[in-house]
Amino acid sequence: MILESHLLSMVLYSFFVSVVLALLRREDRKSQIRYGLSLFILMVLVALAFGWFMFLFSR
Amino acid sequence: MKSFAFFLAGWLVPGLGHLTQKKYWRGAIFLLAILAMTGLGLAMGGKIYPLYLKKPDNLGEVFFNLFKKENPLALLAFLADLGNLLIYVLSRLLAFGQGALERSTFEFGTAYVAGAGLLNYLIALDAFDIARGKKK
Repeated sequence: MILESHLLSMVLYSFFVSVVLALLRREDRKSQIRYGLSLFILMVLVALAFGWFMFLFSR
Repeated sequence: MKSFAFFLAGWLVPGLGHLTQKKYWRGAIFLLAILAMTGLGLAMGGKIYPLYLKKPDNLGEVFFNLFKKENPLALLAFLADLGNLLIYVLSRLLAFGQGALERSTFEFGTAYVAGAGLLNYLIALDAFDIARGKKK
């Protein structure tokens, strides 16, 4: 079944959102790449951190 | 008026508002990204939420009936899915995007489709801004 892994789904989702937002919010190529990369890394790291935080309340 | 047409074009087909303004690279990337998100979402069994409307007894109930359903938040999901106008209309005509609740990927698939719709609102508004000369 396609994208059974929630981690891979989340990473791919972050990638697409970062690409679109970088093109929308920044004009020149260099700042688009910088903004897109930082957005992508931030989204993945915050999702992972929040996932581990929720693990504290899993039972 | 012309800028509104670009907004509508972008709303109907992701990136079309940019492509018609000769922003070929940006338009192509938007089209690919939004179609990929929607396609993956649907392949994962995601749901495209329709607008369930209970038939109103009088005119005053029209607004309140928007929230009278099993899950009032489905209205927000409907508004997000509507951002991808062509896909939404096709899903209603061809009866796809019904959602496969039994699959483990259902939630993520639905998030992909809704996310694509919300991003497309921003893309269409960007095309509108370019047409009005507020953005390059």
